[in-house]
Amino acid sequence: MTTVEAPLKNVDVDEEPIKRFEVNYRGIFQKTLAYRITKDLVYIAHSDGKTAFSNGRYSDDPQRNGVPCANFAFFSDGLSEEELEAIASAKMDIDRADIVAVLDDTMVKGLEPWGHYGIRPINEKVVPGGTLLVISRRPPEDLVQFLEKKPFTYNLAILPGEASFAGLWYYRDDNTDVRVLGAVARISPEIISLDKAIAYVRKTYKNDEKVKALEDAYNSTKLSVVSANDGIVWPHRKPVLPAWNEFDEGIVVKAAPREFKMGPRGLGRNLDYKRGTSKTQRPVVRFDICTKCTLCWYECPDECFDPTPDGLYDVNYEYCTGCGRCAEVCPVNECIVMVDELNFKNDDSPWESFKKDPQSYTKMIEEKKGKGRMMPSHVTGKGESMSEVSKPVPFKVERGN
Amino acid sequence: MTTEEKMEEFKGANLYSNVHKIDLPEFYTSGHRTCQGCESALVMRDFIKAAGPRTVVTGATGCMYVANTSYMTTPWVVPWMHTQLGGGGSSAVGMAAGLRALMRKGKIPKENINVINFSGDLGGGDMGIGGVSMALQTDYNLLVIMYDNESAANTDIQATNMTPWGAQTTFSPTGTKERIMHKRWKKNVAAMLAVGHPNCKYVATACATFPPMDYMNKVKKALSIGGPTFIHTLDPCPKGWDYHPRYSGDLGQLAVKTGVFPLYEIVRGEVRYTYDAAAKKRVPVREYLEKQGRFSHFKEEDYDFFQQRVDEMWEEWEVPGIAPIRGALKLRK
Repeated sequence: MTTVEAPLKNVDVDEEPIKRFEVNYRGIFQKTLAYRITKDLVYIAHSDGKTAFSNGRYSDDPQRNGVPCANFAFFSDGLSEEELEAIASAKMDIDRADIVAVLDDTMVKGLEPWGHYGIRPINEKVVPGGTLLVISRRPPEDLVQFLEKKPFTYNLAILPGEASFAGLWYYRDDNTDVRVLGAVARISPEIISLDKAIAYVRKTYKNDEKVKALEDAYNSTKLSVVSANDGIVWPHRKPVLPAWNEFDEGIVVKAAPREFKMGPRGLGRNLDYKRGTSKTQRPVVRFDICTKCTLCWYECPDECFDPTPDGLYDVNYEYCTGCGRCAEVCPVNECIVMVDELNFKNDDSPWESFKKDPQSYTKMIEEKKGKGRMMPSHVTGKGESMSEVSKPVPFKVERGN
Repeated sequence: MTTEEKMEEFKGANLYSNVHKIDLPEFYTSGHRTCQGCESALVMRDFIKAAGPRTVVTGATGCMYVANTSYMTTPWVVPWMHTQLGGGGSSAVGMAAGLRALMRKGKIPKENINVINFSGDLGGGDMGIGGVSMALQTDYNLLVIMYDNESAANTDIQATNMTPWGAQTTFSPTGTKERIMHKRWKKNVAAMLAVGHPNCKYVATACATFPPMDYMNKVKKALSIGGPTFIHTLDPCPKGWDYHPRYSGDLGQLAVKTGVFPLYEIVRGEVRYTYDAAAKKRVPVREYLEKQGRFSHFKEEDYDFFQQRVDEMWEEWEVPGIAPIRGALKLRK
């Protein structure tokens, strides 16, 4: 991977003179933000004499907290509005995009917005020479280890920053909206030019701080090139959709398997829709200090705790949505802690690796946890409280043997 | 009544005596498209766990229908049927009547099969209330659970009659001229149904996680007492109430402790408070309201008004927290 000054050009000869922009965001938490971004892009393109329009992905509604969603925007230099709409609108999903923006970097681990969709790679729609734009504090190497290998070269742009989360009624205006505009202007001047973007933001928001944030983002967006075959072999398979004549009579949905046995993955679960890609953080359990109070299992709204024969509760990360209720209800200090999802590479059973080697499991998770602890405010977007743990809770030997 | 007497009264119900006794298998399992931290998903999980696998469930349109059938997939292990938004009560009656007829004709073995309907606050308490009322007048064994997240949450938070005073919804966004756009006080569904339906032996309100096991035991009691029964649960909704999903449990607990949502059961006409907010010192409602983004536009006077209405409910109502009728005792004297 090499760092570059200007992005690679799209070498794919597009039969339609259209630029496609997709923004992936966390349902509800970034709904207003994503809407503002695509709306502003369209207005800026209009001010430049282009034809443009935006829409949301139909199947995302009703949105749910954390479930990945997407908005689209389409730009054209020559087509009329009707022609552009005829080509690009009224689709459940699009199949390629010149820029794929990602408002929360944990989504690079894959997307599963609804049932029978499978866990799909975030760079699935990026065209050769296109750009994946991620808001992240991490270096490009960290992100590429989660991306699917592509047979062609494309750009990876990183806009340094934290994911901006807010609620349905309370919007945190931290300038992430205009910062994404700045990054898009840098990546693709054909979509919006920096001058037009600045003029629009100045006129609309009448706020110099926003203009400055846009310019800063334009300058600070880091561009690098992902070569062909950089990345991983995608571990999740795409589901095969049932044909129309394979359905049962009437509208019958097959029940989830009726199975239960003690131990990891002992519970029958909905196989065609997992929820793991909703999470930005995962609960990490210190089994050695657990008091077996059952509360994490009792309060989990996604049934992801598997009771084990020794009275502990294993976590099935494939289905965990990372809501944090278990960490909130756990009465033992430091026993369940929410940790950034990108610190983990797989969804293996934590209880099994604890049983295999309690000491090294505990050491491993304490490293992943680090020292910082973040507590979200009650109303999302109204600030988090940060604290530090001076040293990890000592390992309890009795449980470990 | 002492705890032992209460356990004795519902002996056949096999009530849970502590959290370690709760059954481990799930009949509403992982893999549903609900929000992170969804309390209503827990309401589903818990009622079917308490009822056990010999249960048929019907569900009116709402969050818990749409989220649980994401493109022909479902987390339900037990038989489950969708019905129209206002059809909750009628579907339960139809299901119970069908099972009774099949058993009478010898087409299926005679056994106790629970019939449970779940409807949201719009389905159960607003447009479907006619059907629920009709179901409670029958002699069938059925349970209607109204999971109340205080809005039409599936279609992105529209106001219903269960939305509390002042809350922001897509129907009542706060404005520059009018701060408070939702001016109706929450409808009192459980008590209304208890008062008006002589056939109904059990009506309760509940919160899924507080006090622990309370809700599951109420489901067990409702199913064991026989006849049509009704439970109203208050489900904190991270999406519509606008709070971090981590705090769903906290919000439910605060709703009960502030006295905003009274917890009680009415067993054969006798009222029992399962969390007596009047006897315990009520937490100021402000602590509950300021933790939710939907009340983020509240000013001092709004908190005061809300507190005053809740105080009234506990101090002036003839049956505190339940029946807003005043002065009957004075008249009798």
